[in-house]
Amino acid sequence: MELARLPISASQRGKLISAGYTSLSSLSSLSPSTLAQDLKISDNEALEILRVVSQGSRLDKPDGSHAIVNGAQTAWDMLHEEESLKCITTSCVDLDDILGGGIKCKEVTEIGGVPGIGKTQLGIQLAVNVQIPVYYGGLGGKAIYIDTEGSFMLERALQIAKACIEDMSGNSDFLQKDFQSCQVKAQPKDFLQNIFYFRVCSYTEQIAMINYLDKFISEHKDVNVVIIDSVTFHFRQDFDDLALRTRLLSGMALKLMKLAKKFSLAVVLLNQVTTKHTEGSFQLTLALGDSWSHSCTNRVILYWNGDERYAYIDKSPSLRSASAPYSVTGKGIRTATSKCKRIKIM
Amino acid sequence: MIPQNLLQNPLALTTQKCTLGCPILDRCLAGGVPCNSITELVAESGSGKTQLCLQLVLSAQLPTSLGGLAASSLYIHSEFPFPSRRLQQLSQSFRSSYSHVLDSEYNPLDFVLVRGVQSADQLFDVLLKMDSVLLRPPTQLPVRLIVIDSIAALFRGEFENTPFDLKRRSSLFFKISGKLKTLAERFGLAVVVTNQVVDFVGQAGGLNGLRIGNLGSLWSSGRRVCAALGLAWANCVNSRLFLSRNEEIVGEVTGLGGVGAGDTVSRLTRRHLHVIFAPHLPESSCEFVISREGVLGVDR
Repeated sequence: MELARLPISASQRGKLISAGYTSLSSLSSLSPSTLAQDLKISDNEALEILRVVSQGSRLDKPDGSHAIVNGAQTAWDMLHEEESLKCITTSCVDLDDILGGGIKCKEVTEIGGVPGIGKTQLGIQLAVNVQIPVYYGGLGGKAIYIDTEGSFMLERALQIAKACIEDMSGNSDFLQKDFQSCQVKAQPKDFLQNIFYFRVCSYTEQIAMINYLDKFISEHKDVNVVIIDSVTFHFRQDFDDLALRTRLLSGMALKLMKLAKKFSLAVVLLNQVTTKHTEGSFQLTLALGDSWSHSCTNRVILYWNGDERYAYIDKSPSLRSASAPYSVTGKGIRTATSKCKRIKIM
Repeated sequence: MIPQNLLQNPLALTTQKCTLGCPILDRCLAGGVPCNSITELVAESGSGKTQLCLQLVLSAQLPTSLGGLAASSLYIHSEFPFPSRRLQQLSQSFRSSYSHVLDSEYNPLDFVLVRGVQSADQLFDVLLKMDSVLLRPPTQLPVRLIVIDSIAALFRGEFENTPFDLKRRSSLFFKISGKLKTLAERFGLAVVVTNQVVDFVGQAGGLNGLRIGNLGSLWSSGRRVCAALGLAWANCVNSRLFLSRNEEIVGEVTGLGGVGAGDTVSRLTRRHLHVIFAPHLPESSCEFVISREGVLGVDR
């Protein structure tokens, strides 16, 4: 097979095969440190092997037998990639649990709820949490916040950033690393600098903004999350041509999905609710209609249950339907502290 | 497109706010009514919405060092007549309280622009023409506060209860709110809108519940109420404040004919300002009274 053609030593080849790497494609999306761990060799050796592999796969292409379709990936590769993707924590343990660790990168997550339930709060919390440094388990990235309603309040973002830094400093005592490097030198103001804030005032501006994102993110590769608060507001006005609205919305959804995949970032869309008249009763549903509901990978609905705020996974290809409580405090989104809290699996 | 520089004013890392004219009320709202957003005042009639709005158009004229916006205001009213006598009364006490900062010739009424509208379409027309008024204000101070009192009155009569009319109504909400927010963003305005209440019918809580905001139920004058104009309008405002008015029994005097006959009961009207939802405020409430000098918070 292809491995036989690689100019590597026999012992290396033997180690690769016994570890389960039987073809070039299984090595294509691997990081040197993972390979080194698997084969129990040094990082440099692993790097050397991967370099040879990438050269080998380049020679393979004119053959045509290597990849079925250019750009296609095997499911094995995709699983590897998915496992290495990080999530953005929401700072609420229960919410992170039902989301499978947090808001996932490379996916579009839609979060909707009634006014006052905490959508903007969650948006700001994510814009701050994406900046948590890597050695604290975060992504150490930047955020793009597209505000269509004017709900982003500077002092609230500062408050949430300050609480995040305090939590990190509190946790640094538990980390067994070099104390010097763990010292959180960040100030709340630094967190604000890493949020690229855009205010759009009409649907045309919103669409232009989303078209511009590709260029912007190419120039700012450290952006890990794009938050749009809210994606619906400008589209709920009267559109004389409803077909135009549907076209615009689906075009927007496609672009956002492409962005998420291309740059491996998380796209979070905050949505409003409206009432839908079905079978004689009114039901609450997310705005923008049924066709929009297909545009997002995951859908989370925030709602009131008595005096508590709950989040419910409405649609997801990989998460099961469940609901979890959360709370909005002075520090931002946090775990709910009620006595009878539990995660309900639907 | 360039992202906004959030740190452009490193000394004042908060949104600018307009004081309400009373430090206790300001404390409840973390400084006052914020600029660049729409704040809604929901209350029954006679609860003090108009009083608070009149007070705001005066306190907006204060210099920024005292929490004002150093600006004129535009008061758009839909209920006639405009309470000009009360405004005059308030302006007199305003002048005497702030005589140390204001000129002796200063007339606060010179800095209030008043416009009456009678339908939602008329309101939208006024808003479309606003750009020119805001760019070249007829007063010496720029206009930085817009009050619409009340938005509910413009929508109550014209629309029937059919799905078609309701849909038409709600797209009008988003049009008006979109225009207001664009103006607010472009000119740094604070927008205050007043709304009425209707009796609450329906379920709250659960996936289909219509609970909006921090309070599970809103009570005023012993009735359970909710804001008028429904869920669609609630999505159009940034913050919602509720003014409640409830009567409390404070004393009982037994009449001459024994228990039950001829009893007099003293009632006191207690008024509260509640934060229903706001992106920058926790749930809080504050008691206030309405006096000759205006709306004043009470520390109890």
